Amino acid sequence: MIEPAAGIHPQSTATAAMAPTKLQVRDLQFYYGGFQALKGISMDIPEKKVTAIIGPSGCGKSTLLRIFNRIYAIYPKLEARGEIVLDGENILDPGYSMNRLRSKVGMVFQKPVPFPMTIFENVAYGIRHHEKLSRADMEIRVEQALRSAALWDEVKDKLKQNALGLSGGQQQRLCIARAIALRPEVLLLDEPTSALDPIATGRIEQLVEELKNEYTIVIVTHNMQQAARCSDLTAFMYLGELIEFDQTEKIFTKPSKKQTEDYITGRFG
Amino acid sequence: MQADQGVIASTIAQEQRSTRDARHDRLFGWLLKGCALLVLACLLGAAGSTLWGGREAFGTFGWGFLTSAEWNPTDDVYGALVPVAGTISTSLIALLIAVPVSFGIALYLSEVAPPWLRTPVSSAIELLAGIPSIIYGMWGLFIFVPFFSDHIKPWLISALGRESCDVHEAGNVSWVAQHVPFMGKMFCNENSFGGSVLTAGIVLAIMIIPFISSVMREVFQTVPTRLKESAYALGSSTWEVSWDIVLPYTRSAVIGGIFLGLGRALGETMAVTFIIGNKMKLSPSLLDPGASIASTIANQFGEAAGLQKSALMALAFLLFVVTFIVLLIARLMLRRLAHKEGR
Repeated sequence: MIEPAAGIHPQSTATAAMAPTKLQVRDLQFYYGGFQALKGISMDIPEKKVTAIIGPSGCGKSTLLRIFNRIYAIYPKLEARGEIVLDGENILDPGYSMNRLRSKVGMVFQKPVPFPMTIFENVAYGIRHHEKLSRADMEIRVEQALRSAALWDEVKDKLKQNALGLSGGQQQRLCIARAIALRPEVLLLDEPTSALDPIATGRIEQLVEELKNEYTIVIVTHNMQQAARCSDLTAFMYLGELIEFDQTEKIFTKPSKKQTEDYITGRFG
Repeated sequence: MQADQGVIASTIAQEQRSTRDARHDRLFGWLLKGCALLVLACLLGAAGSTLWGGREAFGTFGWGFLTSAEWNPTDDVYGALVPVAGTISTSLIALLIAVPVSFGIALYLSEVAPPWLRTPVSSAIELLAGIPSIIYGMWGLFIFVPFFSDHIKPWLISALGRESCDVHEAGNVSWVAQHVPFMGKMFCNENSFGGSVLTAGIVLAIMIIPFISSVMREVFQTVPTRLKESAYALGSSTWEVSWDIVLPYTRSAVIGGIFLGLGRALGETMAVTFIIGNKMKLSPSLLDPGASIASTIANQFGEAAGLQKSALMALAFLLFVVTFIVLLIARLMLRRLAHKEGR
């Protein structure tokens, strides 16, 4: 049995020394009705780095990600306790504005989900919830977002077409464009490539590499090679607990916990 | 030798089977086509026979049948304007009320309501859809119409309309009637009692709400969770998710549901006959009694003969035409919306 708090704090302070902390998670508990899905998670997610969360199915990694923008709050009977501090404020505080949180923390989901609108409107849609822009400014913003998502060259001639006509990989990059169009500070990626082919996956990973210059990225992935390839830090979770959180290189070469080693060498999970 | 014969026999059997299969498939195809054509034949047959039955009326009055508001069995003069206008206005009133209410019900049930409340409310809606229209008619005549005349009508007149329909006569004119064109005419007091076009429209709305809302609820539930979550993740409110994501995603089914309700409202006979007032007079006031195509037919078919019977047949044909035009508008609307979305 592991004592989570004691086992993790030394490492998280080690990472904090490397870059300023963006998201500070303190003793986070999460409940699905009567079931406790997260048990006392504490971790410091550094700014402008890619943090990967890995672990077997059902370990709570997606649940953790879905607390960072409080998307879980649209369902009844779900409850998070503890603290997540973003820029000095606890985002779990009921008084923290949901609209503000979601403009600061963007999210991209497992399967590409373009809205039933044109490509342009897909990107402009979110911006309209937070800012009033003139038509010309909006066009600039949409172009910037599509360029950052490495999609502009492929869609610039068909912005007025329905987004459902794009390929899966393009749709997912559109979803990334949609999220970064709000100029968030944190970008959450929930298994963003699990529905894509290897080539599209490669492009998204390359994109993640570019985006980390501007955004703090947290990525949940099933694919350990992906975590090894594109993250700076890796967190390993198991049965609702954070087992180990360290530099990616260290996790994949010299993990300090037996469970982590078993998982990354494919002995379970 | 025997083995060879066996192989040959089985090849022959296979060939026979494949020709037999092809024949069966052909027959099956014809059968299916026949079933589909039957629907078309029924439609054309019904439309054709009402047109044939109405030929005398159409022949006697020509285009005047459509534009004349006079319906006078004593002089054998018939014009369809009053019932056609009554049918369209009652149905429009019904839609105006039923569509927003149904949208609210369906959204509440699919997006907002706690799970334990969803099943009882959904079953209640389905039960409401099952009530026979004669009961709505009776309830409308004995309970709703008196209540409306005592409480709602005076309020409508003082808030939106004017006390007298005659412009030259004295009487209070509401602020709305002074500033919004047609309002005074739509809500003026003709000193009539009993049912009116408005009460018929309201009862029709109650009758079609279950249809529209249950279609809407069902299609709203087909919207993928991840689509809604993506919108919430961009900072949308529940209203924005419903209006910008759920509604466009289910657009064609929602319009289908609305037109299902409209179809029912256009043809509804029993309830409307009870509460529309059955007066063959064209009036701009919604508080005046009127008549619809279906109520006119139901009221007069028993005693009709000769030209009057033919005029009623012609009315039935017009109901076909009105319904057809409504469906056509629905199609055009869908196509324009799809075009706007870039499809």
